Amino acid sequence: MRWLTESYKWVERRVQLEAPVKDAMLHPVPKNTASWWYVFGSAAMTLLMLQVATGILLALIYVPSAGDAWNTLQLLNHEIPLGWFIRAMHGWGSNFMVAVVLIHMMQVFMFGAYKFPRELTWVVGVLLLLMTLGMAFTGQVLRFDQDAYWGLGIGASISSRVPIVGGPLVNLLLGGPIIGGATLTRFFALHVFVIPGALLAFVGLHVWMVLKLGVNEWPMPGRPVNRKTYDAEYHKLTHDDGIPFVPGALWKDLVFSAGIIVAVAVCAAIFGPYGPTGQPDPTIIQTAPKPDFFFLWIYAVLSYLPPSLETPFLLIAPVIGIGFLLVLPFWAGEGEKSWHRRPVAVIVLVTVAVLWGVFTHLATFTPWSPKMDAWSGSTVPAKIVHNLSPVERQGAVIFQSKQCRNCHSIGGVGGERGPALDNVASRMTEDQLIRQVIQGGGNMPAYGKNLAPSEVTALVRFLGTLHPAGQPAASDASRTAAAQFGAPSQTQSSSPTTSPQKTQ
Amino acid sequence: MTDIVKEEQHITHDDPKVVSRRWMLMKVGALMNAAAALVVAAPVIGYLLGPIRKKGGYNSWISLGDLKQFPVGETRLADYVNPYNHPWDGATAKTACWVRRIDKSKFQVFAINCAHLGCPVRWFPQSELFMCPCHGGAYYANGDRASGPPERGLFEYNYKVSGGELHIDAGQMPTLANEAKLKVLNNLNSDGKGCGSCAG
Amino acid sequence: MKVSLLAGAALLLFTAGCNRLPGAPKAGVEEVPRPDSITSFKTLYGQNCAGCHGDNGRNGAAFALNNPVYQAWIDDASLRRIIENGEPGTQMPAFGTKAGGMLNDAQLDALVHGMRSEWSKSDAVSGQTLPPYAAAKTGDAAAGKAVYESACARCHSDAGNKITDPTYLALVNDQTLRTIIVAGRPDLGHPDWRSTASGHPLSDDDITNLTAWLASQRVSAPGQPYAEPQ
Repeated sequence: MRWLTESYKWVERRVQLEAPVKDAMLHPVPKNTASWWYVFGSAAMTLLMLQVATGILLALIYVPSAGDAWNTLQLLNHEIPLGWFIRAMHGWGSNFMVAVVLIHMMQVFMFGAYKFPRELTWVVGVLLLLMTLGMAFTGQVLRFDQDAYWGLGIGASISSRVPIVGGPLVNLLLGGPIIGGATLTRFFALHVFVIPGALLAFVGLHVWMVLKLGVNEWPMPGRPVNRKTYDAEYHKLTHDDGIPFVPGALWKDLVFSAGIIVAVAVCAAIFGPYGPTGQPDPTIIQTAPKPDFFFLWIYAVLSYLPPSLETPFLLIAPVIGIGFLLVLPFWAGEGEKSWHRRPVAVIVLVTVAVLWGVFTHLATFTPWSPKMDAWSGSTVPAKIVHNLSPVERQGAVIFQSKQCRNCHSIGGVGGERGPALDNVASRMTEDQLIRQVIQGGGNMPAYGKNLAPSEVTALVRFLGTLHPAGQPAASDASRTAAAQFGAPSQTQSSSPTTSPQKTQ
Repeated sequence: MTDIVKEEQHITHDDPKVVSRRWMLMKVGALMNAAAALVVAAPVIGYLLGPIRKKGGYNSWISLGDLKQFPVGETRLADYVNPYNHPWDGATAKTACWVRRIDKSKFQVFAINCAHLGCPVRWFPQSELFMCPCHGGAYYANGDRASGPPERGLFEYNYKVSGGELHIDAGQMPTLANEAKLKVLNNLNSDGKGCGSCAG
Repeated sequence: MKVSLLAGAALLLFTAGCNRLPGAPKAGVEEVPRPDSITSFKTLYGQNCAGCHGDNGRNGAAFALNNPVYQAWIDDASLRRIIENGEPGTQMPAFGTKAGGMLNDAQLDALVHGMRSEWSKSDAVSGQTLPPYAAAKTGDAAAGKAVYESACARCHSDAGNKITDPTYLALVNDQTLRTIIVAGRPDLGHPDWRSTASGHPLSDDDITNLTAWLASQRVSAPGQPYAEPQ
């Protein structure tokens, strides 16, 4: 083994890395930071390395051409041995990475670690988060399928809303007038060269600052940060009651990182690669594009905004959001770190997390989108069909053939854009149903021009049957009275079979 | 470790003349680099901004084919190869659009892209509605907004009929910043809808 | 040496087994096929027809296609024409691409072929002769009224089963009436032409006349939700 020592010495004489590495490894950290809460940063870095490795492996096969990219993904999935597994690792790795980066950020926020003197570490971290999301989006584009194609369309449409420079921005984003070869190559350059290069450089800076400024101590209530005294306090903490970073804290990082890699591999093996969905042919319009998991919440928000607020929101909200994150450490650079003394911070975090969860959950089943095939693919429940009169059954056919089903569900099947109609007759009278069908309103198109009177009548008669067995259909009291006492000026409903009077 | 650099510094440390001369030379070097950077940056920026063209800069008249494909009173899907394309664009060089033939000579040609966020709208002849699969935008047969998040009707291309074929003025993905119809060229389009920002 | 050999063998075994992992894509199957390349009857029927005609061709709001009598009655060309171009005067839309729909020729053929192989039975009409698909002549409405009264009124005069409602008649064409008289709705318990009248099947003339009478019950402005004011 003498030769090993000798060669080590020979190399060390030339690279002179021993001292700085030793410094970094053995620098004392506060004892209570050797906690499982402090493992997410290193896990994010491990995942970045995994992404670089799997990304290089994919680049061996992938062709960034709009005409061929999708085919090379098919090749990876089906022909290249274990190509699917590398794709799955890269895909799941990206999901994990975004998640871990977000968790890391939440932990740092909760622990007040962005306060003096670590403001810049936080700012760089915010940039790293943006780059991570940028990688997730550009990566989704490189999986050049229908979702990617129309996702780019959404990106272009959002850019076009920027005042004055909107048009040029669209051209810049797409690399031309349309989504095509030039679009894919520029996203390839971003995903493979530009963002990863910046990401690696900024990760280096981020880690450098963590080493230089020391790991944030476990926040204690009643021990606020003061710019004048913090350095001395931290020095005392680490030197009186500190432990060397290696192995005191590092072992947990190592264990967690290994666990994360295994988790990625297991997900990859069980759930497989994501897509690709249909080929990126713009003439295939039977598609319902949807973004990847981490952008679902935006997708949901965009569907709930009223048209007049949409452009302002799209352009202002990101500026405010990112601006808030960047300004945070300068605005609240001192004071309490402990979450026990920072109720507003806790409320903000919980609110954001809950909103994110709700919007993401909504976007998994997109209640705002018409189900494009429901009219021709979702049946009217047999139980209902059996109890209909011929006219009502024709009404049910009209309900299907006029695409009402695309937005309204019956028996839990169909679109969710509009209300479910299982019990519609118990909340709307015949008159109200007719008005709603003909005039629309409340986000429903008016069908007056598109339906013949007989079609409206049959449809409304069908809808009139949709009420719970033991509960009468809603009726207009004035009509009931007119029927009972006779009111010459009132006209009668022409539907004796379903008119509400009969059921009372 | 012997530090060679430090010793060298020591030699010239307190000779102000030497120092100022070296500083000046360094500044000259930095200036030269700045100049070189400018020389390089100008073409780089020009290269990067290359795809930008003024409104309609990518447009030209494209044939959608024989008029017979479009029966009067119906709305049909058509597609064309975008005039600006490359051999490696594959299927993405194609673009789809909806052609509504109102009568013998009157048409409306709608972009496939929803005016909300560009998703492909689908025409349902039974209910005479265009529906968008993304956020539920819906439009009437004439392209007017019916419901959902879009703030305007469908984008409409200018068209002309010549030689028994339908031609449209297209070439760029229509967005709110670059509506398909740039100005009312065709007097057949009397309504001029979807033309809020038209110059002419 | 032995160890590395063993490790190598284990690695090989591991990689070989990997393609049987649950996440591995199915061989030769595109994750999402082009919509115009789908020719599976089940998928096509499920996406395009089931909404109105019911799961597996039964219990739908529109006519039941999974009806051996109907399958024995209608010829391939008519069936394909209706799918491709729709049935005017009814809600049946055109599905063929040439008529503005989304299904190409291969898919239309797959639908016709699928219905035939799934839903037709050789003994569907058990030796009886089916009336022709299309009526050969114009019916006699007055004679049709008698047929209606003897064969249909029994069930259909009741409000819940009324077929003389102008709204209903406005939404079906004569061929649809003929189809439902001949083939019935077995899934809803409605008889076909053999057992509508007691004792004998309806003749071609009976059916044509009956259809003519029903057609004569149509009114000029059907389905007005409110009676004419004053």
